[in-house]
Amino acid sequence: MMKIEHKIYLSNIVHILLLLLIGTIAMHNLNALYTKFRFITIANELNAGFLGIRLAEKNFLLYDDKTALDEISKEIRQTSTTLFEVRNDIIRAVGAVNYGKLTDLLNQYNQMVAKIRQRKFSPDGSFNNQLRAAGQELKNFSNDITELESTNIGRIIIRSKTILHFSFWAVVLFALFFSQLIVRNIGSSLRRIVNLTQSISKGNYQPIDTKPSADEMGAVVIAINSMATELGKREKEIIQSKRLASIGVLVAGVAHELNNPLNNISMIAQTYESVYESLSREERIDFMNQIEEQTERLRLIIKNLLDFSRPKEPHLSQADPNHVIQKTLELISNMLDVSNIRTTLNLSDELPDFYIDEHQIQQVLVNITANAIQAMSDGGRLTISSRYLEKEDEVEFEIRDTGKGIPPDYLEHIFDPFFTTKEEGGTGLGLWVSYGIIKQHYGNIRVKSSGDAGTVFFITFPSCNKIKRCTSNEKELHNGH
Amino acid sequence: MKKNCIMVIDDEKIVGDMARRSLEQEGYEVETFLNGESALARLEQKAFDVVITDLKMKGIDGLEILRTIKQLYPQTVVIMITAFANLDVAIEALRDDVHDFFPKPVKIKDLKASIQKALNKHAD
Repeated sequence: MMKIEHKIYLSNIVHILLLLLIGTIAMHNLNALYTKFRFITIANELNAGFLGIRLAEKNFLLYDDKTALDEISKEIRQTSTTLFEVRNDIIRAVGAVNYGKLTDLLNQYNQMVAKIRQRKFSPDGSFNNQLRAAGQELKNFSNDITELESTNIGRIIIRSKTILHFSFWAVVLFALFFSQLIVRNIGSSLRRIVNLTQSISKGNYQPIDTKPSADEMGAVVIAINSMATELGKREKEIIQSKRLASIGVLVAGVAHELNNPLNNISMIAQTYESVYESLSREERIDFMNQIEEQTERLRLIIKNLLDFSRPKEPHLSQADPNHVIQKTLELISNMLDVSNIRTTLNLSDELPDFYIDEHQIQQVLVNITANAIQAMSDGGRLTISSRYLEKEDEVEFEIRDTGKGIPPDYLEHIFDPFFTTKEEGGTGLGLWVSYGIIKQHYGNIRVKSSGDAGTVFFITFPSCNKIKRCTSNEKELHNGH
Repeated sequence: MKKNCIMVIDDEKIVGDMARRSLEQEGYEVETFLNGESALARLEQKAFDVVITDLKMKGIDGLEILRTIKQLYPQTVVIMITAFANLDVAIEALRDDVHDFFPKPVKIKDLKASIQKALNKHAD
């Protein structure tokens, strides 16, 4: 494909050539007009001369006025001189043939007059008639070519008008055609680039335009493609380094969790060895019991870790979000009663189904509501809402408590493994595991907390329709307004 | 001769219990605390020769205790222990003039030696 730059050059060159052509034609017509116009002026002068000759001829023939012959000769001389002086103009206007004929006619007439003047013979009636006829012809011919040229001037003006008219439309159409061609070309290329960048912004870093055109837009597409590839590479690196970092956090957490009971056991053993002699039987048994307690603590940590390191294969199926909430509430109803917490449900009946592992999502909801219940140790209100986010085609759960809230410093860490604010009994793994489950379901979780007003968790999941996993479309119709 | 006073701060109760038994056997006077707040309160009442503190605790942590002691009781020697075998934290603590740093699990023998060394230096 031709470069846009070259297309514009070409279009400009064609325009200039077209204008030159039109200008040349117009110039040519103007020159022709000027010539014809000059001729008309000359012809009027000549015609006046011929008229003078004819008047003198009339005086001679009717009244036999001999001085009229001198008058005629004088007029003929003057006219001949004029004819010779402006012969170039006349030839240009009416051609050499007509000029020749005009001078011939004038010479013929002049010879006839000269014969009479030399008195070589006495003019009779027939010679007079010849003389009159020759004068008449001279006058007529001159009149004819003058008239012809007047008509020609009219024709040239009309022709110029027509040519200008057509050239105007030709230039306009040509300009429209070319600009349309270039604009359409640029437009379609720009649309391709817009599509490309939109797909990049959605996280698709695959170069989609496999065969970029040879013009400037092609170069832009190539540049964007290489940027997309580079972005994709960077994103992979970032994900990889984030994964490594979170493994680092996890390992550090594990080390810390294991080191404490390990240290306890070690210190008990070392102390036991050094104070053995002074210990009573009961004290010795107590030392051993403490070791056993610490071992049990280690066993529990390891069991939890194994549970989380081997996540069960999710059993995904289409489910009603409200139904999952109701079943979760049954699981925690006892906890709610004991803790003196009132529960409010705001469930939307306009929800599409989602595609999830029901057990895992229940686990997420139990983790978050259990945290909420613990944050409201003095009682409070737990509000669980569900709603449909139409624009994103997602289901949103909102779990709101009126508890003591999460300090701002802790907020960014609550999804880290082994992060806990609980004095005892918290593994610091609940929200971390929940986060993993939600991400596995292509969902999202965010939290808002302000000191006294409690904490709100927002969890979103794509509808089954959005991830093309709807097996029955009963709910789709419901939602397909 | 006056007994040297040692304070042990760790939110793991067993650490304090075992340190007390081992160190009392060596003739030291030992007091144990489960958090930084109660330990700093006690320091206002009584001077200690050595403070052994865990690094990571809820509320006032080991680093804060170290800074407070260096500022208010510069005669007191601080020994840090932690379950985080994290070198960055160790370097930071050492820069703040901690006498010694022990990752868990702690060898009581080493701890005793470190205390002895600190007290000898003090006596000079």
